[in-house]
Amino acid sequence: MTMELSQLKQYVFEKGREYGFSEMEIYYQADRASTVRIFKGDIDSFNTIERAGLSFRGEYQGKMGSAFTEKLDEESIDQLLLAARENAEVTQSDEIAELYEGSAHYQEVAKFSEELFNTDASTLIQTALEMEKAGLAADPRIELLNTCVLVNSNNEIMIVNTKGLDCRSASTTAVCQVSALAKADGAVATAYDSDFSSSSLADLNVKIFGDRVGRDSAEKLGGQTVDSDDYEVIFRNNAIATLLQTYSPIFSGSNAEKGLSVLQGRLGEAVAGSNITMVDDAHLPGAPGNTPFDSEGVATGRTNVIDNGKLVSFLHNLKSAKKAGVASTGNAFKAGYRGDLTTLPNNLYIEPGNQSLDDLIAGTKRGIMIIELQGLHSGTDLISGEFSLSALGHYIEDGKIVRPVNLITVSGNILQLLQNVEALGNDLRFQGVGRGACGAPSLKIKSLSISGK
Amino acid sequence: MLSQALIEDVLAAALETGGDFADVFVEDKTITTIHMIGGSVESALSGRDYGIGIRVISGLFAVYAYTNDLRRENLLKVARSAAQAIRGTKRDITLDLRVTTLQSAHPVLIVPSSVSKAQKVEAMRRAHVAATAYDPVISQTSVSYKDEDQKVLIANSEGLFTEDRRTRTRLFIEAVATIGNDKSVGTATPGAQSGYEFIENLNIEEQARIAAHTAKTMVNAEFAPSGKIPVIIDNEFGGVIFHEACGHGLESTSVAKKISVFSDKLGEQVASPLVTAIDDGTIQNAWGSSTIDDEGTPTQRNLLIENGILKGYLIDKLGAKRMGMKSTGSARRESYKFAPASRMNNTYIAAGNSTPEEIIANTEYALYAKYLGGGSVNTATGDFNFVVREGYIVKNGKIEKPVRGATLIGKGMDVLQKIDMVGKNLGFGQGMCGSISGSIPADVGQPMIRVAELTVGGRKGE
Repeated sequence: MTMELSQLKQYVFEKGREYGFSEMEIYYQADRASTVRIFKGDIDSFNTIERAGLSFRGEYQGKMGSAFTEKLDEESIDQLLLAARENAEVTQSDEIAELYEGSAHYQEVAKFSEELFNTDASTLIQTALEMEKAGLAADPRIELLNTCVLVNSNNEIMIVNTKGLDCRSASTTAVCQVSALAKADGAVATAYDSDFSSSSLADLNVKIFGDRVGRDSAEKLGGQTVDSDDYEVIFRNNAIATLLQTYSPIFSGSNAEKGLSVLQGRLGEAVAGSNITMVDDAHLPGAPGNTPFDSEGVATGRTNVIDNGKLVSFLHNLKSAKKAGVASTGNAFKAGYRGDLTTLPNNLYIEPGNQSLDDLIAGTKRGIMIIELQGLHSGTDLISGEFSLSALGHYIEDGKIVRPVNLITVSGNILQLLQNVEALGNDLRFQGVGRGACGAPSLKIKSLSISGK
Repeated sequence: MLSQALIEDVLAAALETGGDFADVFVEDKTITTIHMIGGSVESALSGRDYGIGIRVISGLFAVYAYTNDLRRENLLKVARSAAQAIRGTKRDITLDLRVTTLQSAHPVLIVPSSVSKAQKVEAMRRAHVAATAYDPVISQTSVSYKDEDQKVLIANSEGLFTEDRRTRTRLFIEAVATIGNDKSVGTATPGAQSGYEFIENLNIEEQARIAAHTAKTMVNAEFAPSGKIPVIIDNEFGGVIFHEACGHGLESTSVAKKISVFSDKLGEQVASPLVTAIDDGTIQNAWGSSTIDDEGTPTQRNLLIENGILKGYLIDKLGAKRMGMKSTGSARRESYKFAPASRMNNTYIAAGNSTPEEIIANTEYALYAKYLGGGSVNTATGDFNFVVREGYIVKNGKIEKPVRGATLIGKGMDVLQKIDMVGKNLGFGQGMCGSISGSIPADVGQPMIRVAELTVGGRKGE
């Protein structure tokens, strides 16, 4: 960066007025991260990053234009403002985006840890090596970890505008990712998972984590397909959480209003079974997406999305909220300074029930427990709600796991699935890191179509 | 971008602790995206990415650092901190950077930034109008335009110092069909490594009608059947099956570590003798082409499989070192934020001998996948999946009826062995390929093929 922040802000706003902008906003983000990747007892790669950039939004003749840059010098700022003005000129949407003057109160969320901020490279490497060891030791059939990664990052966000908004936050996050590869009798199986902590490496419990992923891979060995038929299906918490995350854009008020969500026009209707309550809460202890304000600077909170099966609210940013005649729910989302403004959950989750996963298995006569879904980005349709996904899991008969299953697909419709939840686990788990991550307990579905042989 | 003297100092700093190779990737990229929903521009965003990636390799250990603070003192600091991770002995290095001036193999006639956004919006509106006019059942359209102009400077301690410029333009057309509570979507996403002349020469209306046709056909369709059945996959984006089922498994990232099902299989029969497959980064103006790869090696045409025999892999410099082979010019990355890795450019199955009509006429029963969506693969197990965007049932040599909601799954090597007919109609489709070094543009391609048996995940009893 070639200009200090406060100087930059003043420069951009002054220059912006010369370009004809009436109100303006700067979204500034800076990240630093160290990533260590371990392969077979050695450091495979070590990456360090530092980046900063800003995106600019400005109101020009009643329309909003935006642009971003990673180069922060005078020439680039000129280009930025010119591009933003040109973008305002071609924007035609009748929903006029507005800049926000700030909320009365922002709830603090504890996401900054001095300890993580000061963790050095050698500690990170040591911890990653321990994680690999634990993964390899989980089962004799584990041949190697094809991914063993530890990331330590810190991130600063600042949103300031000419209407008086001044939001700042700093956070630290450590993330571990493991994929274990098990081999036996010519068969190969892998399992992948990730976890995070905002407070310390010790909280990650890499030994327990590595062991868990390792065992998951070994337990998949020897999987076979099943006959194509309708089965009782249990989605283990991690699998249903990834499915929910893929479908989370259907809860965007903006998508629904534009006919790009299966939930268009369904507000107030029962879209799920009466046993389903879904909540987005930006202040949920231990959840990945906690944040005091959203990407427009609106204070975040808790929104009931589905209440006992009934769709009671969409998630909104300022523009979509205004159009719907409600207040923003604090769900404006920008994937860093490079992103466009959209709507996404902070921490969207299905409220857990009271059965353990073992109870769910015990209550299944002939079913499949799905522990992994693949190809989620392509096999799910946000507009029809339909999905057809490659899956891996275990075959259950008379309440007991009989054998692993692979090369199957599971098909259905997300809303029908939520209508047909027979039982909910007590094991709520979030999948993913950062805002937009989703959580769910293990769910038992009465019946879904499984394709195999 | 940066001076040769400064680059020399950065490389020298990166090698201070005894690393045996260092390179830099400097990037200055401008991007324009415009989103239109229902014929009106929802948002327009432009931006500039600017930064440098510095890599040091010692043996097989790679350190990668990136920053977008390109001031001299910071670059030297970042290079030195990367070097700190290498614990070798300092050597005396003389860097002799030789400037190579490239003749771009992919001419750009109209630089996208020279075209007004209003003109781009007008092209988008034509797509909206054509899709909407296709049929009253089309309830919504979403059209996006994207162009990017990427300038890169690549230099390394072997003496390379070169610059390249890659310009890409693309249109995304999505049409939604609605009948009651049933909805379906169709897409068309043409793109090229070319200037705005690509959009000017594109039959936008035809692309919009393709998207609208899929949406209309699928909203009326029954659910696809389930189970193992023969599958006919049409040309162009159908090639995603090879991309997922086999291409990713040929990347040195997994081959070199022996975690791919294709590791140590050169010279072996891995596919039906009807299959010849190629990855070619040199196809003029193709979406996934470039003059040099992201390590500065010229791209080339790589024969992967010839008549079913495995002939080659996709290799970057680090993979080359691990495997004792040569780079195939296959190092790619989304941006300076990613270390390079071996990736595909434009991967396709070569044309065969049958006409598409013959293939359909010779089929008793099959799922005919006319358009495919995306997919994914686990390179360690070879398990792949991808979705059918527009599908039909073929019965007794005739296309019978449309079906929706099908996903195809299988194992890579298995599907390649089971290809029993290959058509003459080779065609290409454009996609974004996501993997370890980010999301990059790649072409997939093939003629129509028939697979004797694949697992189709549809819905039984509906």
